[in-house]
Amino acid sequence: MTVAATWTFSVLLSVCLLVAVLIVVTRTARLLRSARRTRLAAAPRRALLALAADGYQSGEMDGLVALPPRYWRAVAPVAIAMLSKVRGDGLAALAAVFERRGEIARELRALRARGAVRRARAAEVLGGVRCAAAVPGLIALLHDRRAEVRLVAVRALGRIGDPAAAQPLLDCLARAEATPANLVTQALVELGAGAGPALVAALDHAEARVRLAALSAMRLAGTVSAEARVAAALADDPSIEVRVAAAALLGRLGTGSAAAPLLAATDPAQPATVRAEACRALGELGATAAVAPLLDLLDDPAYPVAHGAASALAALGEAGRAGIRQASRRRSAAGAHAREALALAALAP
Amino acid sequence: VPAVLVAEDDPDVRDLVVFKLEQVGYQVVAVRDGPAALSAAQVGQPDLVVLDVSMPGMSGLDVCRLLRADPATAALRIMMLTARAQERDVEGGFAAGADDYLVKPFSPRELTSRVQALLARAR
Repeated sequence: MTVAATWTFSVLLSVCLLVAVLIVVTRTARLLRSARRTRLAAAPRRALLALAADGYQSGEMDGLVALPPRYWRAVAPVAIAMLSKVRGDGLAALAAVFERRGEIARELRALRARGAVRRARAAEVLGGVRCAAAVPGLIALLHDRRAEVRLVAVRALGRIGDPAAAQPLLDCLARAEATPANLVTQALVELGAGAGPALVAALDHAEARVRLAALSAMRLAGTVSAEARVAAALADDPSIEVRVAAAALLGRLGTGSAAAPLLAATDPAQPATVRAEACRALGELGATAAVAPLLDLLDDPAYPVAHGAASALAALGEAGRAGIRQASRRRSAAGAHAREALALAALAP
Repeated sequence: VPAVLVAEDDPDVRDLVVFKLEQVGYQVVAVRDGPAALSAAQVGQPDLVVLDVSMPGMSGLDVCRLLRADPATAALRIMMLTARAQERDVEGGFAAGADDYLVKPFSPRELTSRVQALLARAR
C-alpha cells in the first residue's frame, strides 16, 4: 500500500468514526431530552387527564395555569392532542387552561408568524379550543402559500363550527391550489345547519368541484336544505358527476316528492350513469310508486341501468320483490338481473 | 365492583378512559392492541369491553366478532369507542355485534353514562 493510499484510508476511517460518534451523541441527547420531557410532564399530565375527564379539583386547574414554562412546554403536546379527543365539559376545562395561561392570545398572534410550522400549530390550537375570535385569521390562512397550513386551517374552522366559514371553505375548492375536497366537505359538515344556505347557494357555483362538495356535505350532514334545488341539479347540472351525486342525495334523504325528479332522471335521454343512480335512489327512497317503471327498466339495453333497477326493486319491499320474482323466470338479461338482485337480497342480514 | 376492559392504542385516550371509569368506581384493565384485548376478555371475563376500532394486530371490529362467536364471551357487553363517525362505520360496528357505539371526540361524562346503562341492562 502506498503512502497516499494509507493516508486516504486513514482519513476515511477518521470521518467514519466521527460520523458514528456524532450519531451516537445525537441519539443519546434526543433520548435524554425525551426522558426529561416525560419526567417533567408526568405530574401535569395527570392533572390534564383529570381536567379532560371532567373530574378535577379546582387546585389542579390552578396548578396547570401556574405551571412554569419548562413544565408547560413538556406537557403542551399532550394538552394539544387532548383538545381533539374530548368534548363537553372536559374540553371546556382544557380550553380554560389555555385561556388563563395566555396561550390563546399568543396563538392568535402566531397565525401571522413567519414560520409555516408555527402558523399551523397556532391554527391547530385555536381550532382545538374552539376559539371563535380566530375565525377571521383562520379564513385568511385558507390562502396560505403552504398547503400544510391550509389543511390545518380547514380542520380548525370545522372544529370551531362558525357558519361564517362556509363560503370561504367552498371558495377555496375553486382555486388553482385547491385543498382536498374530502377535508373541506368534512369541515362543512361540522359547521352544522347554519351552513345550509351557503351549501344551497353553492349549487349555482361555476366550479363543478364546489357543487359536488356542497352535495356531499348535505349527504354527510343528513339534511337536504332545499330538495327542489337539488332536484333541479339532478335535471340540468352540466356535470354528470354532480347529477349522480344529486340523485344519490335525493335517494338517501329526500321526501316522497323526490320520486318524480328521480323517475324523470331514468329517461333514456339521460346519461347511463345518471339513470343507474336514479334507479338505485328510487329503491333507497322507498318509492313504491316506481315499481312499474323500474320493472320496465329491467329490459334496458344499458347494463348499469337494468342492474340498478333490479337492486331498487329488491329494496322496495314485497311489491318490488314480487315483480322481480316474476321477472327472474325470464330467460333474458332482465331475468339474470332479477335473479342476482334476489340472491343478494337473500344474503342481506 | 363491575370490571371493565379498555382496549385502546392511543395512550392519552386510554389513560383518560381508565381515569374516568376508575373515578366512578369500576375496576379497569387496559390493553393497547387487538390480540391483547381478545386474550384479556377471554381470560378475565370482564363485565364490559370498551374497544377502539383501529388498533395494532387486530381491529376492534374483528375482536368484537370473535368475542361474539365464542360462547364463553358471547354475552359480554361491548362498546366501540372510535373516531370513525360515518354512517356506514356505525352500521359496521353494530353489525359486528357491538351494543353501543361512541364517536371521538367524546364526552367522558357521556361515556360513563353509557357504560352505566349497559351494565344496568346486563344485570
